[in-house]
Amino acid sequence: MIEYLVFAAAFGLLLLGLHRKVIARVQLRPGPPVWQEILHALKFSFKSTWVPKTASATLYVGVVLIGIGIWSAALFVVLAGESILILFAIYMLHKVVEHGFGLSSGSPYGKFGGVRSVISAASEIPLFVTIAAIYLFTGSLLLRDIIAYQEVHGPLLLIVPPVAIAMYLVILSKMPYGPFSIVESKELVSGYKTEHFGVWRAGIAVIDGTKTFVLLYAFVLIFIGAVPFSLALAIMTLVLVSLSFVCAITPMLSPFDSVTIQGLITGLMLVYVGYLWWVMP
Amino acid sequence: MKRTTVTYGLAASALAIAAAWAALAAALIPLFAAETVIVIAFPVLVLFLALRWRAPGGEEDIPFIGY
Repeated sequence: MIEYLVFAAAFGLLLLGLHRKVIARVQLRPGPPVWQEILHALKFSFKSTWVPKTASATLYVGVVLIGIGIWSAALFVVLAGESILILFAIYMLHKVVEHGFGLSSGSPYGKFGGVRSVISAASEIPLFVTIAAIYLFTGSLLLRDIIAYQEVHGPLLLIVPPVAIAMYLVILSKMPYGPFSIVESKELVSGYKTEHFGVWRAGIAVIDGTKTFVLLYAFVLIFIGAVPFSLALAIMTLVLVSLSFVCAITPMLSPFDSVTIQGLITGLMLVYVGYLWWVMP
Repeated sequence: MKRTTVTYGLAASALAIAAAWAALAAALIPLFAAETVIVIAFPVLVLFLALRWRAPGGEEDIPFIGY
């Protein structure tokens, strides 16, 4: 099982490296090598490391452990075909982790990153709408039931494309360098990650890699269904490249604009799910 | 953190993962129990492996806290 975790973290980091590469090429820059994020994780692992004097040591270290733990649990939930409600609860916990990262260090940059992670909770609301719409069709929130439904009726991507778009936007809001990446924007240095350096930053790299893998794999399973694993990896890569294109050509929004747009998306999705609920027998 | 503490932490997490894997293979514990052990031990393994590998030295400092 640990091999799944190592593979997910490494492949996720590779995808994040590809993300940076695609953004750079779209912007006519050479960009870093695709494996740059893996090299970063290794590099940070042998840097000098300590806890800043201003930090709350327990929280400062604890959030790194919790972050790796929750995304490890999320991977097992997806692999076991368990409830997507658990998966999205873990997604919400990640918000608490981001907030903890920001507040634990004593740095104002980190604190602003943490505060922004709270206000960007608007990006999670489309998740609930996604869950509601999926339940209307499949009658279950278990991933294995959703997959079984798609084997009979075809991919949910074709049945309820607006719901797939909503989850796509949720994943987009978690991608670095994207229009909704206000928690780590450049005016905050690295946002909530600013004061986590050395080994702690290597831990963040493992969190980011696993998170990227889990979200993209869950997207494939929920909206396309059971496909051979190699094909799932190829589809995940395609989805990521499309996200990279969006990130490359879209400026980062101001925090208020980001929340407003995510709120509007949620409103549209609520109307759509309300319509589905009204017309469905 | 002292190097011996890091070594003990690393060994404990590696042993926990190996024990969970072996117990699952021998059908002594269910899958979710093995996964629970790994979810707890894997983060410790990652951090303590890196802490053991890190460069020595470094004084505690105060980050930039504004003008």
